[in-house]
Amino acid sequence: MADQNIRRRDFIKLSAFGAAATAILRLARRVSASDPSGTSPHKWAMVIDQAKCTGCGYCTLACRAHNDVPPDISWNRVIEVGNFGDRKSYLSRPCMHCEHAPCVEVCPVKASYYRPDGIVMMNYDRCIGCRYCEVACPYGGRAFNWEKFTGPNPAVPKWGQPEVERRPRGVVEKCSFCYQRIDRGLAMGLVPGVDDEATPACVVACPVRARVFGDLNDEESEVYKILSETPSYRLREDLGTMPRVYYLSARKEEAA
Amino acid sequence: MIATIKSIRWTPYTYWVTALLVCMFFGAIAGLIVFVRGLSVTNLTDLVPWGLWITIDLSAIAMSAGAFLLCAAVYILDLKQYQPVARTATFIGLIGYSMAVLTLLLDIGRPDRFWHAVVFWNVHSVLWEVTMCVTLYLCVLVLESAPIIGHTKWMQNRWPKVAQWMVRVHHYAPYLAIVGLGLSMLHQSSLGATYGVLKARPIWYRPDLSVLFMISAMAGGPSLTVLVTMLAARLYPRIQINDTILEKITNFIAWVLIGYLYFRFWDALSMTYTYMPGRTEGLRVLTKGILSFNFWVWEIILGAVVPIVILRSQRFRKQPVLRMIALGLVVAGVVAYRWDTTISGQLVLLTYLPNEIVARYTNYFPSFIEFLSGIGVIAYGALAVTLGIRYLNIIQHYEVPAGVVEAHSLPAATD
Repeated sequence: MADQNIRRRDFIKLSAFGAAATAILRLARRVSASDPSGTSPHKWAMVIDQAKCTGCGYCTLACRAHNDVPPDISWNRVIEVGNFGDRKSYLSRPCMHCEHAPCVEVCPVKASYYRPDGIVMMNYDRCIGCRYCEVACPYGGRAFNWEKFTGPNPAVPKWGQPEVERRPRGVVEKCSFCYQRIDRGLAMGLVPGVDDEATPACVVACPVRARVFGDLNDEESEVYKILSETPSYRLREDLGTMPRVYYLSARKEEAA
Repeated sequence: MIATIKSIRWTPYTYWVTALLVCMFFGAIAGLIVFVRGLSVTNLTDLVPWGLWITIDLSAIAMSAGAFLLCAAVYILDLKQYQPVARTATFIGLIGYSMAVLTLLLDIGRPDRFWHAVVFWNVHSVLWEVTMCVTLYLCVLVLESAPIIGHTKWMQNRWPKVAQWMVRVHHYAPYLAIVGLGLSMLHQSSLGATYGVLKARPIWYRPDLSVLFMISAMAGGPSLTVLVTMLAARLYPRIQINDTILEKITNFIAWVLIGYLYFRFWDALSMTYTYMPGRTEGLRVLTKGILSFNFWVWEIILGAVVPIVILRSQRFRKQPVLRMIALGLVVAGVVAYRWDTTISGQLVLLTYLPNEIVARYTNYFPSFIEFLSGIGVIAYGALAVTLGIRYLNIIQHYEVPAGVVEAHSLPAATD
């Protein structure tokens, strides 16, 4: 009887130990999975030409439709920045996908992270909603889901549907360079920036082709060519965040 | 029900507890509304994402700084005479940190994921470090407070064995004090660094914030401990306090305040030198704008200068009422500093437009629900300390329960 008791106790101990070990192992695997290691041959970047931009806001709308962004949030904002000659000048601002992103550095749980191809991504399943990234972003590129977004999205047309899941209440969201289009396009053998299906929605929707998207590692890409031929600037370069969104200033020759 | 209420003998104590319970009740309702309806019930925005709750959180942690300071004094510097005060400070620290955890749960958008920081580490994040330190230090405080609970009659009668274990934890007090000192120094200053590392906010972006948060906590924490001790001794005749050691602590507070004021002065003065977009405007908001009353009156004059005068002058500090007022002002000054820092960094926004890097202003005033839940948390803290004074004997400088008389060794009776 005593013997059996000990055996039972041992069994319980052993199973408890086994359960704990499994839990720790699973935890460790999850933690290590949180670091998307590996390399990518690509380095995505966007060029926005302020000389062409008319401030129509199609980029914002397309973004809303494809990413199911609620009406009170804009992943891509179009801001009037003044007059240039006799026409207005605009600044369209997606997420800068900084090389040294303050949001990634400050996030306590690695819900914001760098993809190997340079996209600054959000893990919406992990975000705790502390909003430190919002405080840290110099570009106001992030928005918090103060309320649950329910009902149909007015920006989504009847004939289509968003490509990504709607974010829950209580997490911070932002532009992802339409990673879903890039990834699916690459899997289909398409070239992001060349083939519309593999290019961010805002770039495709722009009626005046003010936006160009592509791979900075690819010398044949349009972004590479533009940036090596034309002077460009980035927002708040003094901060050293190294944005991957480049701007071409409004210029005289095209201002007419 | 009415009969029971009628049978209560209404004393100042019962009035006080009832008032706190009412505040807690409404606070709990407000908290429930926050959890059900989400943070849309607050006045926080994407431009000012942090507000009243963060201030309460930062203040509660600063007010708990007495715990690590006095424990370090007793168990590391071997200043045994402060042991009874360290006991009080430890308990206040435990309550303060639990208040901070409660407000954080209110504040994060996904309270169900509060444990993520423990599992998913981002070692680059100051906030991660703070979260880990606060979690670990809360464990230290629980252990440090265990002997207090273990000494209660109720515990000893109900679970004598558990009570014995809890008392035995005291054996490890020096080690806990070392761990506590390390963790506290780390996160008290890191709370300042949480703001100080943000390039996007020029008024915050400077290393001084961590130093100032540390020093102001070293003044505010012991102030609250001494204030609560003196207040309790006045209200409960059975509580006997040793005024000599309290006076020594207030003397220490005065010196810390002088150091704080000195660093604060240079910090502020250095920011006036040359125009820097965002920073200059932030300083203007602080010293001339809407926060100027808080800054000059609560932070500098009442929060530092007046207490220094009172606590440094022997004639003034010998008068208990005057000393308590001074300590209360220090506490208020530290809270005002936390609020002003939090708000000044967010009210001024720096634009990112190419030819126009200028400051823009926004506004924030906490919503009713924010106030209600915040007051609820504060009421919880006040109630916990009140009950601790009454039932856990946390303030007792002479009739220390057996087993805590000596700081280092444990009497044979419990071994």
